[in-house]
Amino acid sequence: MPVILKTEKLRVEFRSHEFRQATKIALAGLDLEVSAGEVFGFLGPNGAGKTTTMNVLLGFVPPTSGAAYLFGIDVRQPIARQRIGYLPEMTYYYKFLTAEELLRFYAKIFGLPRGETDKRIDQLLKLVELEHARKRPIKSYSKGMQQRVGLAQALINNPDLLILDEPTSGLDPLGRMKVREIIQRLKQEGKTVFFSSHELGEVETICDRVAIIHQGELKAIGRVNEITGQRASLEKAFLDIIGFQPITAP
Amino acid sequence: MRNIFAVAGIVIKELYRRKDFYVLFILTVLVCLIMASVNIFNDKQIVRYLKELCLLLIWISSLVIAITTTARQIPAEREQRTLLPLLAKPITRTQLIFGKFLGCWLVCGLVLICFYVFFGALAASRDHTWPLLNYFQAAFLHWIMLGVVVALALLGSLVFAAPSSNSTICFVIVATILTVGRYLDAVALAQPEPFRSMLYVVYFAIPHLEIPFEMRNLIVHDWPLIGWNFIGLYLLYALAYTAAFLVAACLVFRRKPVN
Amino acid sequence: MLALLVFCFGLGATLQPQFQALENNRHQSNDFFHLLLGDSSRMLANSFFVKADEYYHSGYYPTIFDNNEAFKTPHVAEDTGAVNSKNHGEETSFMGPPRDWIDAFGRHFIPNRHTHLDEGGPADDLSTSDNVREILPWLKLSARLDPDNITTYTVTAYWLRLRMHKVKEAEEVLREGLRNNPQSYEILFELGRLYDENYHDADRARNVWQLAVRYWLKLTPEEQKDDKLLFEQITTHLGQLEETAGNPTQAVNWFQAAQKVSLTPGELQKRIDSLKEKVTDQPQLPVPKTTY
Repeated sequence: MPVILKTEKLRVEFRSHEFRQATKIALAGLDLEVSAGEVFGFLGPNGAGKTTTMNVLLGFVPPTSGAAYLFGIDVRQPIARQRIGYLPEMTYYYKFLTAEELLRFYAKIFGLPRGETDKRIDQLLKLVELEHARKRPIKSYSKGMQQRVGLAQALINNPDLLILDEPTSGLDPLGRMKVREIIQRLKQEGKTVFFSSHELGEVETICDRVAIIHQGELKAIGRVNEITGQRASLEKAFLDIIGFQPITAP
Repeated sequence: MRNIFAVAGIVIKELYRRKDFYVLFILTVLVCLIMASVNIFNDKQIVRYLKELCLLLIWISSLVIAITTTARQIPAEREQRTLLPLLAKPITRTQLIFGKFLGCWLVCGLVLICFYVFFGALAASRDHTWPLLNYFQAAFLHWIMLGVVVALALLGSLVFAAPSSNSTICFVIVATILTVGRYLDAVALAQPEPFRSMLYVVYFAIPHLEIPFEMRNLIVHDWPLIGWNFIGLYLLYALAYTAAFLVAACLVFRRKPVN
Repeated sequence: MLALLVFCFGLGATLQPQFQALENNRHQSNDFFHLLLGDSSRMLANSFFVKADEYYHSGYYPTIFDNNEAFKTPHVAEDTGAVNSKNHGEETSFMGPPRDWIDAFGRHFIPNRHTHLDEGGPADDLSTSDNVREILPWLKLSARLDPDNITTYTVTAYWLRLRMHKVKEAEEVLREGLRNNPQSYEILFELGRLYDENYHDADRARNVWQLAVRYWLKLTPEEQKDDKLLFEQITTHLGQLEETAGNPTQAVNWFQAAQKVSLTPGELQKRIDSLKEKVTDQPQLPVPKTTY
């Protein structure tokens, strides 16, 4: 299977502007590959470097050294983002726009023709169950509705690679189930999904492969059952890999 | 260009869904109509004081709209995190800056059309003339000047953290240029060195936004048209400053973290 | 909280009469501008008077950075002939040569020629000379802000009466000026001219001018020294009025009073001599006493 997403010795350092403050190493030589058609889970505790990795892949942050590629194109080129969809962790969109206007705006950026745009908007609003609210401004939406708009905008260009940053964060169980269903459906369509999550139960269910990152370094990568091994659950494996020491009673 | 127009369209939508423009327009209309209702020695043909007042209000309103609309563009995108899903699309930061500039500038153009149509109607109600070309010259130069202001405010929005501080600084700079920009060289002549040289540097470096501002007198007092060659020259002059501010904004934005 | 409110109310009620009794307390004024601005309204009044002059010149006017020697006395006032002009120097080129290329370029976008509204304005079109009406709002505002400035009323009345043929409005302006400045001989003189030249009401003109003379005579010698020209004008007009009414003796007395302050007493003497020749068997009317 062709490699859709690739990082080579990716290193990101953040230099502090304050006097005598050390440079923070967010990523220390990350090597990662995601093949086409995979659902890939990207795990790690808070501050591990998951969001930094995504920021590099999306072109928000330039790497200090190393490289990252999407579809074989360097991520620093805007064309690398032509075939991806991105759902950020916190979903905020232009409050004065309606869902339809927002999707139309993003479709225009992707250069979709008008007819195709209209068709995609109808399909996506039906998929995320926002047809009834398509003409209402986004500022009147609940959090769940905003998350669903986010998902719709991530899919507007029918992307081959979907990058989701904690897609089920803040959703109720019904919302989470809907997101899982959408991810499963995308996988069936041959799309690649790269997402980070703290919901390890979910990751166990839907991911083909996972990577665990801690303090900017890749600690483990492989199929879920390979990583879990003899341990009871992915959660136990995760805690062992990152070196978590439980507090024992004296 | 497609991306630039798309971003500009969003800015325009934001204008007519916010209340700033409507409030300022209604205020201007109210003040002008109240002043027009004043009886001045039973003469219904007196019009120039009204024209001056209306033009002054138009200038103030347009500057408020231009600076406040532009100053909040990028900071609002960062604060509301709408920048992330936008830059995750195949759009460059340069295209975003130009899109924001174009949107804000077009917003200024639309605002000016509304204001100047009202101005023309108000003036015509008294003196029954429609010097359309004169009004066009004034409005066009006004719009060009606002392009420089928008570019300056956009650069400021990337340099200063808060939209309020950027707006204040822009207002102070623009107001100072409008009131004393033309006379800085005369003031410089009267100063000892090194202040003289410093003032001269400032005088030649600043964009002379007061040129369209002072053109109000030509409209108020029914002076003939300005030569179109001078309009063209000022257009080039203003575009040069606009381009310089936009290039600086692009360079600054490239180095800014997105989140 | 309630005790505090009661205390504040009581304090306010106690201090209010004392505050109102303060000299020049603005609260006593009924005028909106005086209430809002206080004494700074006079400064604004002067600015608006100058604004009227700027409008008279269709915007071609010196700023504080230009050479304004030729504009020390606003031309709207100077042209009335009723004020002492302090203007000298060139009024058509106060800006001087361009200081640099920016200044030279900028001058294409501002009024750059000396014109007067009543002489055709920027278009040099005499048929538009009644555009001089455009100075009126600023004169009106100036009078409103500084009701004690007599020149504003006389200048406004001049333009209304003589240039715009709005006699009734001119009279209203002068009457308003008199209400605010009851002993103003300048305003009385203008009012007399209005009655004489426009209403052809010699009796009213005579009464008003004689009142003006009485007020002028009440001035201190120093004040009289400063304004001899106006006294001459009032007495000369009275003399002319009496001459027209067929009262040569009265006319002679007035011309003699004018002669005492005139810079051209010879001219007045010729008129007196020709009038004396006309004095025949007319009954001797009471002669108005002047102490000057």
